[in-house]
Amino acid sequence: MSARAPSAQVLTAALCIAAASFALWPLANFDGPWPEGIRDYLEARGQDESGARNLVSAIYLGYRGYDTLGETIVLLVAVSGAIGMIGAAGSKLTPGYADAAQGQSPVAGTARRAHRRTELIDVVTGKLGPVVLVFGLYVMLFGHVSPGGGFQGGVVVASGIVFLGMGSKGAGLSPLVGAVTLARIEAAGFLALLLAAGLGIVSGAGFFAPPLRGASPVGYIVALNAVIGLKVGAGIGFLCIAMLGEAER
Amino acid sequence: MTARLIIGALFMVGLWALVAKRNLVKKVFGLTILNSAAVLLFIAEAGASGGGAPIMGGGQRIVDPIPQALMLTAIVIGVCVTALALGMAYRLYKATGSMDIEEIRKRLGNG
Repeated sequence: MSARAPSAQVLTAALCIAAASFALWPLANFDGPWPEGIRDYLEARGQDESGARNLVSAIYLGYRGYDTLGETIVLLVAVSGAIGMIGAAGSKLTPGYADAAQGQSPVAGTARRAHRRTELIDVVTGKLGPVVLVFGLYVMLFGHVSPGGGFQGGVVVASGIVFLGMGSKGAGLSPLVGAVTLARIEAAGFLALLLAAGLGIVSGAGFFAPPLRGASPVGYIVALNAVIGLKVGAGIGFLCIAMLGEAER
Repeated sequence: MTARLIIGALFMVGLWALVAKRNLVKKVFGLTILNSAAVLLFIAEAGASGGGAPIMGGGQRIVDPIPQALMLTAIVIGVCVTALALGMAYRLYKATGSMDIEEIRKRLGNG
């Protein structure tokens, strides 16, 4: 930390903000038209070419499958890295997410607040978990005709898994909340995604193309959405459960 | 233009948390706010191209779906970055017993 007076720091910050505002003002004031060529093309042909009424699904599962594959790999690497870093720290977080062994506050100069769990949280999250799981499956499987899709549904499924993990109080865990189960679902989801991407090669349609030519490509989008949803749900659920401290290593 | 200014202010809030806060978890919050500001900027800008959701059959003129698909990716990457940053913060806390960046530097420096 510098030894300057706070007023000098405030002045410097104000000057920086003023300079940035001056430089960025043309951007904020920009009034050009939105380029609409691709929008018009997708509106005219997107549903016929990909089979999905939801054009966002059509893009990330139909036109840009490679991108989605890379995205799931990034997610896989992030989950592995975070689990590895937490796991290698040599201890698991205390159930109830308070680090009870450490008496001092993590930040110097602030008072440590007591972390409390109430019966209310246990009861509500335990009962709500299955409902959220079903809603996640709905969002996942109807992503081609309504707002939603694999990633969105997967995140809802993950929050359902977190609810189940919070509601079970560490005892009598549902097997779905077990770290090993979630890791296996994640791995199986990635394998299924690779298989689904490669099926098109075998049938001659091409990588990440619907393998059955002639049939409507909707089924392929639904299958990809389901696989991605399971993978994302298991991955993010695994991450959250591990950070809650329920993961068994 | 109002939307751009508000998003710019949100971006500055995230940058401020990232630069000025000493608590590592608050720095991660700042990173998340920065990410949200970028996502909001793309969605708000694309909103000029239409009024309806990019789902066929709604009757309205649809919005450009490309920025929405891009931001889907950006949100997932943001979650990944947050998870990794929290993992690193946890390791630093376990190693030094502090979430305060100055304190961590001091304790790591002294061995």
